[in-house]
Amino acid sequence: MKRSRIPLYTTWAVLIFFYLPIGVLILHSFNASRFSSSWEGFSWRWYIRLFAERDIWFALQNTVIVALSSTIVSMVLGSIAAYALHRYHTRLQRVHYTLIYTPLVVPDILMGISLLLFFVGIGMQLGLITIFLAHTSFCVSYVAMVVLARLQDFDDSILEAARDLGATWWTTTWRVLLPLLAPGIAAGGLLAFTLSIDDFVITFFVTGPGATTLPIQIYSMIKHGSPPLINALSTLLLVVTFLIVWLVQHLTQEEHRHEVD
Amino acid sequence: MTPFLHFNQVRKTYGDIHAVDQVDLSIRKGEFFSLLGPSGCGKTTLLRMVAGFERPDVGRILLEGVDITDLPPNRRKVNTIFQNYALFPHLSVWENIAFGLRVAKRPAAEIKSAVDAMIDLIQLNAHARKKPSQISGGQKQRVAIARALINQPDVLLLDEPLAALDLKLRQRMLLELDQIHDQVGITFVYVTHDQGEAMSLSDRIAVMNHGRIEQLGAPAEIYETPNSSFVAAFIGDSNFFDGVVTELIEPDYCRLRIDGFPDVMCYNDKRKQRGDLVHLSVRPEKFRLSLDPPPNEARANCVRGRVAEVVYLGAQTKFLVHVQEYRLAITQQHSRFLLDQKPIRWEDEVWIWWHADDGYMLDRYSQTDEELLEMPAG
Amino acid sequence: MSSHDHPGARRQTVAEWLLTAAPFTWLFILFVIPTALVFAIAFKPSDPWGGVGAGWTLETVRSLRNPNYPAIIWRTLWISAVTTVSCIALALPCGYYIARAPYRWRRLLVLLTVIPFWTSFLIRIFAWKVLLHPDGYVKRALVFLRLADADAILLYHAGTVLLVMIYTLLPFAILPIYAAAERFDFRLVEAARDLGASRWRAFRQIFLPGIRRGLLTAVLMVLIPSLGMYIIPDIVGGTRSEMIGNKIAQRTFVDRNLPHASALSASLTLAVMAPMLWVLYMQGRRRGETRP
Repeated sequence: MKRSRIPLYTTWAVLIFFYLPIGVLILHSFNASRFSSSWEGFSWRWYIRLFAERDIWFALQNTVIVALSSTIVSMVLGSIAAYALHRYHTRLQRVHYTLIYTPLVVPDILMGISLLLFFVGIGMQLGLITIFLAHTSFCVSYVAMVVLARLQDFDDSILEAARDLGATWWTTTWRVLLPLLAPGIAAGGLLAFTLSIDDFVITFFVTGPGATTLPIQIYSMIKHGSPPLINALSTLLLVVTFLIVWLVQHLTQEEHRHEVD
Repeated sequence: MTPFLHFNQVRKTYGDIHAVDQVDLSIRKGEFFSLLGPSGCGKTTLLRMVAGFERPDVGRILLEGVDITDLPPNRRKVNTIFQNYALFPHLSVWENIAFGLRVAKRPAAEIKSAVDAMIDLIQLNAHARKKPSQISGGQKQRVAIARALINQPDVLLLDEPLAALDLKLRQRMLLELDQIHDQVGITFVYVTHDQGEAMSLSDRIAVMNHGRIEQLGAPAEIYETPNSSFVAAFIGDSNFFDGVVTELIEPDYCRLRIDGFPDVMCYNDKRKQRGDLVHLSVRPEKFRLSLDPPPNEARANCVRGRVAEVVYLGAQTKFLVHVQEYRLAITQQHSRFLLDQKPIRWEDEVWIWWHADDGYMLDRYSQTDEELLEMPAG
Repeated sequence: MSSHDHPGARRQTVAEWLLTAAPFTWLFILFVIPTALVFAIAFKPSDPWGGVGAGWTLETVRSLRNPNYPAIIWRTLWISAVTTVSCIALALPCGYYIARAPYRWRRLLVLLTVIPFWTSFLIRIFAWKVLLHPDGYVKRALVFLRLADADAILLYHAGTVLLVMIYTLLPFAILPIYAAAERFDFRLVEAARDLGASRWRAFRQIFLPGIRRGLLTAVLMVLIPSLGMYIIPDIVGGTRSEMIGNKIAQRTFVDRNLPHASALSASLTLAVMAPMLWVLYMQGRRRGETRP
């Protein structure tokens, strides 16, 4: 049967559409010229300039602190939530599911403004702590959804087998459930980590004096700063993203190999 | 003999459905006991209650006289072979088998010698370091058995353990299971919907339907003397007749009137009286079939019919024969096929006869059970 | 339920509550209460110091009738709608193609789609700013091809916003559609073709209903962020292409009028909730169906 060629052409056009701007950006990060209109030869100069920008390093440090802490907390909370959602089918879990699901589809700006109002309302000092609280709140949902998806393929009789063989609830959780869920939890954690590193809108609302994260820094550079520096910084961030995506793919691939057998 | 594993008035409902309904059952020590029935009959629920994964709503379960109803699964000396084996995918074959001893915190040396001995027994030495995903279905099955047996349980529960295997492997594992039972001598409770498995392995079988035990007995007892149309139709195949007792003859026999048949003689162990309505079950292989009139035999029933269908199956042939408005399913073994003078063909007029002892009166009959037959009436 | 009377069942309930408590409490305090607060503060007066005044008022909500707003709301709606339709239109053939590609290719194509999905939003927006710069390549190519005047401005209007929104949100449409298409049994399409259906008809009547869930997710994943979009109009748009999100940010940071920002946010929340609750209801029903 002859297949339509439309999907083929669309896919490749879309991929070019995806990568053309990114490619141009990476290219320009090595352009010796200050202006994107002309190519004046290959140069590392923007990267070298980048390392001298103390603001960027400070922002990066903040970003990593927030991302690591909110990733860890959301991995714990999200995994517990996913397990509860998977294990029980009560009315409480229906409410719980809605509560987990909703933050995923609420636009960033609404989460940002509502959290700002909340923090202002309870008189909390805006800063890294409020950013951490905000990031954890949306990361929990992402981790929970990734882990829940893993649990759906999970054979519950494996847990029953462990209980049957004499393991307590606690041993079953540590020796069987967690090792088997680990790739899912790790993938959820990596997703949470990148989301936290990336987040601009929500952070913009709940940040306070001195608590500049990398996206906030990039935003002010886009608005007021020098484009070649952003090119260089973006390229570095893209490299980190590629590494993380590769890692996540690796984690899921492991799983796939088991399925193939 | 005191019962070893005892169900006392056990009941479990899910919503409106009675998964298990007032089950009273005693299983003997060392016995190979099967729970047999169609899916949804409650056999798995009953098994899971012994394992501790389900709790009865009402009733108690006793093991060696001790009430285990409320014990969690890890505190029962009962182990389970799961339908899909439920091997731990992240542990090697060796570690899977060692799991029960590890959680019991046994000394390392003891674990090692016990697991090694077990792996020798199931002949998987070459695969001890492999992960479950790297071994075949039959090998997984053996690992599951070893993993359960290493704890030396009082009872081994098997939940459709052969369902995932293909036919040849299933038959081989059947023999292996039988040998293992003989060797270890512990009580096996085996859940299956496959009557062949149950018949070939079990000391006793409980046939279940709609959460109740329809009949309990040795395989031959259940096959030869089914007490309901469900048991007769679910285990093997059968032909059902409605008749009225017209005459009691000798102490143990009676004569029946079945529409369209000459008088039928039948063994009357149910002590039916004149005028009683009876439901008769006759297994397909109990009939004899020939083109020539049958030899004169005492207590034989004989009718004439027309062959409507012939299905050759190699070891045997199935016939569908019309006798008045009845359609009889008849199976004939070929002992000397090529020597048979004249093979019976479609549309042939044939003689059918069976011995009075081979028709069996049912206690309970339900029209819907006809659906379980290979060739339902209608 | 009668089974709740048993000690075992009661233990189960306690375990369930213990497991649910932590994530539930966290999200209740940091998601439900703040959202409720948005609605409450919309009915508060503002005070001149950028805070929230005492008492209750309908003044703030009434001020939404400001003649500026209908244009912005209308713009938000049409940009979101066009973005969603374009993304779905592009994502359908892509998802279909990726799902049907041989395994090795499929992995690579998925990876190529996932990378933009994981890449920083800001960077991807900024890349377009570079590309569409008055001295950038796109402009020069268009002038060379005589498709644009030398003094045409590619940045800072609604078309730019639309383009960049499609660019950033397209992966969110492709991935769910691909995921659904991958699970779809393509023999059904073959069966339909075998029974005489045209290619288009098989696609429309067999494939599309088969990936309904994925489509639903894709629409949601594009439409809802679009409605609340703030950062794209902010960076590549001009004053004539502002959306509701920009107004909320303006009221919060420039005017320091939190009640006004709340009133706008509350109406946006309601606008977003309609499609979301609908999908959630559909999925919840599905979830209920598939569970014993």
